[in-house]
Amino acid sequence: MPQLLSPLLADAVPEAVLTILKFGFLALVYLFLWQVVRVVMLELRPASVGGRSKNSPPVVKRTKNRAARIRIIEPSAHSGETFTVGQEITIGRGGACTVVIANDEFASTIHARIFPSNEDVLVEDLGSRNGTLVNGTAIQGIVALSHGDQVQFGQTVVEVIR
Amino acid sequence: MRQKLRNAELRLGLLVVLITTSGYLLVQLADKPKLPSDLWLFLGVVIALYGAAHFAVRRLAPNANPVLLPLAAFLNGIGFVVISRLDRDLARNQAAWTAAGVAAFIITLALVRRIRTLERYRYTFLFIGIIAVLLPLVPKLGKEINGARLWVGIGPLNFQPGEAAKVLLVIFFAAYLVDKRELLASGTRKFGRLILPDPKHLGPLLLVWGISILIMVRQKDLGSALLFFTVFSTMLYIATDRVSYLVIGGVLFIGGATIAYQLFDHVQTRVSTWIDPWPVADGKGFQIVQSMFAFGTGGLSGTGLGLGNPQQIPNAATDFVFSAVGEELGLIGAVAVLSAILLLVGSSFNIAIKTPRPFSKLFAGGLATILGVQSFIIIAGTTRVIPLTGITLPFVSYGGSSLVANFVILALLMRISDDTARAAAEQPSRTAHALPQ
Repeated sequence: MPQLLSPLLADAVPEAVLTILKFGFLALVYLFLWQVVRVVMLELRPASVGGRSKNSPPVVKRTKNRAARIRIIEPSAHSGETFTVGQEITIGRGGACTVVIANDEFASTIHARIFPSNEDVLVEDLGSRNGTLVNGTAIQGIVALSHGDQVQFGQTVVEVIR
Repeated sequence: MRQKLRNAELRLGLLVVLITTSGYLLVQLADKPKLPSDLWLFLGVVIALYGAAHFAVRRLAPNANPVLLPLAAFLNGIGFVVISRLDRDLARNQAAWTAAGVAAFIITLALVRRIRTLERYRYTFLFIGIIAVLLPLVPKLGKEINGARLWVGIGPLNFQPGEAAKVLLVIFFAAYLVDKRELLASGTRKFGRLILPDPKHLGPLLLVWGISILIMVRQKDLGSALLFFTVFSTMLYIATDRVSYLVIGGVLFIGGATIAYQLFDHVQTRVSTWIDPWPVADGKGFQIVQSMFAFGTGGLSGTGLGLGNPQQIPNAATDFVFSAVGEELGLIGAVAVLSAILLLVGSSFNIAIKTPRPFSKLFAGGLATILGVQSFIIIAGTTRVIPLTGITLPFVSYGGSSLVANFVILALLMRISDDTARAAAEQPSRTAHALPQ
């Protein structure tokens, strides 16, 4: 556009041209905003795919692909409480964890996570002070769990049910 | 899916590059009928900056929200055009700060790979944050500029550590509130429909109130004080769902504001020029009156870039940048800037709503509140909706510390949205197929 204008130009750009350019500029700005709104709308619509929370509880279909669970053994006050490893669960004293063990003074704020991967159930210590034990042995890195394994975080012990 | 998100971001980015460059061109054309000699350099720099940020996102956070970066770049670009029109020297600095901001954006994305790493260092962040707030008060190190002591000067470089503090303290608040929200939400006293929390749990609210008062009294920075306090009260409300905290926060705010009004001349001036600036239009009310003239001159579609006189407003590049936009781009342009801010803040809150993790939720909510409240304080101040309190308009105003801090906020929000989308994608696809319909 500027190239087209240049032969017309004397010592100042004519006011009319500047006015046209001004409205062109504003139009461009609104074109941008309109495009943003379109993307936002697209973002919001398939939110049902991303916003899975609604679907999460019944997702654990009781078919052959049964999600693993963990059951608390110790402390006895919470014995028998069961959590489904449908997606990643975190264990720790912090209120942000899926399984909050606030009274366990030997556990860390975010102690460990247990998560499914394909057909496996894995546990990873998240840098806790006292470590995570599987069947009495402290783990390094990510460890696969099988049915009946006992996992210890601080003084809390859970059993894996698959 | 992620390709689609990033391609949308790229497409919107190209529009932003076009808008920024043509704005820059229009400013020059208003002056003389010649293409500016540095136009191609300018175009190259804008493309390089946006490209760097965009490709960093492609690598480091491929599932992140696609509109945050274009919206921030748009606001940043419009701000730069207006600043370049007001003061060439400031514009050169702002360009350097924008580059620093993009670098900070990329570094943040690279360092913070998982948002919960931040949760773990909450007390470290609290400690650094409080030091950052207090740093300008240290003799010799701290500097007073324009009557507010919120600067720290090291050699030729001046910066505002308070800008970093607001991000650090929001990390701490979010981590703290996630832990304590049950306690804070459980009320013990009832007054009618209002359930009041146990007084001993009011500690954190009072602490933040104290910090805000300190900032206000010692650093004479009303804007930051208001921002800190509002953001924390809002986060407390998000965490506990108790309206009583908003009421208590409001009462504490009114108390603090009344004390400030009694103690400080400059607060009284702000209020009196807000109610009626005309008797002192040549003196204390000059700035706000010039701002109103700017909006009036601008009218519906503005004078056109480079054709108004926004340089007559004192601090037009920082606090009053919105008035400069209003003069040269008119109501239509001002509404465009407002819409962009609205979309930015709205998308940020949407990120907070979507994420399943309580910490991320509160953290994103807090960051969104920072952007929203800050924009409100300064836009409402310059349009005389509330008394003026100086603070930067996110991404638009001139100011290095603020720009860098806002780019860090942007990176953190994008990290949270990437976390959420990745967690949803990592879910084995069988569950998605197993869903009815």
